Amino acid sequence: MSSLSYLVSRLLQIIPTFLLVMVVIFLLVRMLPGDPAIAMADAKATEAQLELIRQKLGLNEPLVMQFFYFVKNTLSGDMGTSILLKAPVLEVILERIPVTAFLTIYAVCLSILIAGPLAFVAALNKNGMLDIAIRSGFQVGLSTPVFYIGLLLLTFLAASLRLFPVGGYGTTFLQHLHHLMLPALTVALYTSAIIMRNLRASVIEVLDAEYVQFARSKGLSRGVILGRHVLRNALISTVTLLGLSIGNLMSGTLVTETVFAVPGLGRLMLEAIFARDYPLIQGLTLTFAVMVSLVFLFTDMVQAWLDPRLRLS
Amino acid sequence: MKTLLIAALAGVSMLAINSAQAVERGGTLTFARYDDSNLVDPVYADRNPDIWMVTNLYDTLLRTKADGKTIVPGLASGYEVSADGKTISITLRDGIKFSDGSPITAADVKFSLERAVNPDFGPWSGLLGSVESITETKKGVTLSMKNPDPTIISILATFNTAIVSKAAFEAAPGANDQEKATALFAPGTPVSGPFTLKDRTRGSTMTFSANPHYWRQGEDGKPLPYLDEVSFVVIPDDATRILKLQAGEVNGAEFVPFSRVAELKADPAINMELYPSTRIIYSPINSRETRADGSPNPMATKEARQALNYAINKDALVQLITHGTGKSMTSPLMASTTQLAHDGGPLYPYDPAKAKELAKSSGLEGAEITLTTLAGSSDDATLFAAIQQMWGAIGVNVKVEQVDNPTRGAKNRSGEFDVHTYGWVNDVNDPAQVAGWLGYYPTRKAVGTGWNNAEFNALFETSNTEIDPEKRSEQYKRMQEIYADAAPLLFLYETPFAVALSANVNGYLQTPLGNNEFSSAWIAK
Repeated sequence: MSSLSYLVSRLLQIIPTFLLVMVVIFLLVRMLPGDPAIAMADAKATEAQLELIRQKLGLNEPLVMQFFYFVKNTLSGDMGTSILLKAPVLEVILERIPVTAFLTIYAVCLSILIAGPLAFVAALNKNGMLDIAIRSGFQVGLSTPVFYIGLLLLTFLAASLRLFPVGGYGTTFLQHLHHLMLPALTVALYTSAIIMRNLRASVIEVLDAEYVQFARSKGLSRGVILGRHVLRNALISTVTLLGLSIGNLMSGTLVTETVFAVPGLGRLMLEAIFARDYPLIQGLTLTFAVMVSLVFLFTDMVQAWLDPRLRLS
Repeated sequence: MKTLLIAALAGVSMLAINSAQAVERGGTLTFARYDDSNLVDPVYADRNPDIWMVTNLYDTLLRTKADGKTIVPGLASGYEVSADGKTISITLRDGIKFSDGSPITAADVKFSLERAVNPDFGPWSGLLGSVESITETKKGVTLSMKNPDPTIISILATFNTAIVSKAAFEAAPGANDQEKATALFAPGTPVSGPFTLKDRTRGSTMTFSANPHYWRQGEDGKPLPYLDEVSFVVIPDDATRILKLQAGEVNGAEFVPFSRVAELKADPAINMELYPSTRIIYSPINSRETRADGSPNPMATKEARQALNYAINKDALVQLITHGTGKSMTSPLMASTTQLAHDGGPLYPYDPAKAKELAKSSGLEGAEITLTTLAGSSDDATLFAAIQQMWGAIGVNVKVEQVDNPTRGAKNRSGEFDVHTYGWVNDVNDPAQVAGWLGYYPTRKAVGTGWNNAEFNALFETSNTEIDPEKRSEQYKRMQEIYADAAPLLFLYETPFAVALSANVNGYLQTPLGNNEFSSAWIAK
């Protein structure tokens, strides 16, 4: 199978996923207790005011009709108007996507930068003091809640030492890097722990593999063995894991974006849920689904590049 | 003696000069908010983060002083109410202008008030239900009333009657009034208030700059505001807002959790302010004969509800939850800062013996009561633990049910609750709103409790057309007596608004209604 037809077939597989996501999210949102009209109008509203809001939002229509309009409008690019923000959902989401994308990519880069070298050091010192120290450190990272790590980083690195701003996003690329350092690091500490554990195990496994032994016996230098044989093969499973972690990373933004006052999709999602903002929740979930699907697709492509056998299967 | 007098006079004049010099102009105040404003239009603003910003952009005809009770002239230099209370003549101040330099005219006032009255627009038109028509006069406007309305003067000092530019509104893009209002929440819109909107990134930042044509004068005799700009950053997380202030990135942070007040008070770089508010925390008690599931309701009698109230040590709650910053409610219907609040001393002071006796005689003893609280609220968690212990002492078992805000609202409306947590802040400078909400059955079943008292309802209706202040005050006193005795609520406590500012920020105010006022704020350099 050529690379192009592989890509097309993977893209086609995404369509049923989206349809399923749309059905599930539509039903889930409506299963949430509480009336969006009440959430929108504040408790002080009269029954007549609430009725007016329900009419305006089409909440009085049968569920089937609501779903029909939802699918029809979404397919035509209209995700409705946010109840909370009184603005088109698509417009609001497009405003926030760059922030979350920046944060996610930043966190992924940091995770790789942290986990990669440490995994190799740990694997090459298997069961040595260095290995134990690195693994214990990451165990702490894994078992500490994300918001707590965030608050610790904020208190020490931002409020006390003033190395980074406490919150916000900034306006230029360099400011984004500076402002998002702590939130990205917060998420990366967790993700890098997972990646580190996996990469360390794969490196150890590959080091023992026959083809590495063979390469050694040929007298290849340590650098060439590690770079050409070990890294590429150890990365295959790690790339899958990294792809899966990006899904997690995005859900992690719900917490980090709130703690660090980053105006991204995660924080918006939290606000939308609290306000029972149906159109916004639906739009955001679809956006997350699209983003995660694209990440998975990209992961598959990278894997296929690393391991040509996958393209043939 | 003469020398002494001269010296004293010199001293006094020095003081006067010092205080005149004290105010410093210019600079940007950065303020951390818990939420963003989505639509700052007087008529459509419906959430507190929107409402509390309106008066920074749009002035009202009358204004309320910092105490929340005294009404003074605003864009209007004065008003006159006819003897029968059915005509109100309002005179506009001379030479007032919008931020673009165009004059604020009677036509703008008529236009703004007609929008506020229109029941098809916004949630607040009911507050002006008594207005029949508005006509322009040579010097202002005249309101013709369907009936005398004692609240109307307060309403003319309330955000929803703020004055917008008719020309700007008509020129704004949009098919209907709401779309035009939305379009006008944009930089460059001519406004009547102390600040204009300079720029805005939804959900993140908003900047106000000084209106160069604002009419009010500062202490130094020059036009307000003192600041060049106010920059708002949205930070929903309490701890992060405070950290940002401590790190010097912002000059102010609102909604400081009460647990942090003492710590911030001790910090010399921070000025921890507790502004008097109209905020009350109470718990509606389901007062219906039967519960939603049809079973008999042990809280249906007033004796049972009184027992529940006597069994609660409010002073302990004030210490536990507000860390000593709050105080017990003294009026059952409103905060003590509200006009016509009757101070009858702390309501239902802690009396476990009396509570036990009443619980026994009313058949409440042995009952199981569900307390519905907000999930994730640490205040509610503390409240539950305390109440469970206190009611346990009179033989009442308490179960907790944790829900989120919209669910709690839905339960309140459907009556599917025993007791749930709630709070209130006045939107209007008149007690009619809160009294109608808490006690009047026809609008909202007395805050969802189902309590229905004919005398209270009649008094409330009469008081809404009573223009003799003394008679109205008497009616309110009686309403408060009836309500306190019937106890459809757990009367818990009132709390201030906690705002932390950098030590060099002066003159900022959060009014008892919650409005953030930056017009007289300044930063010492």
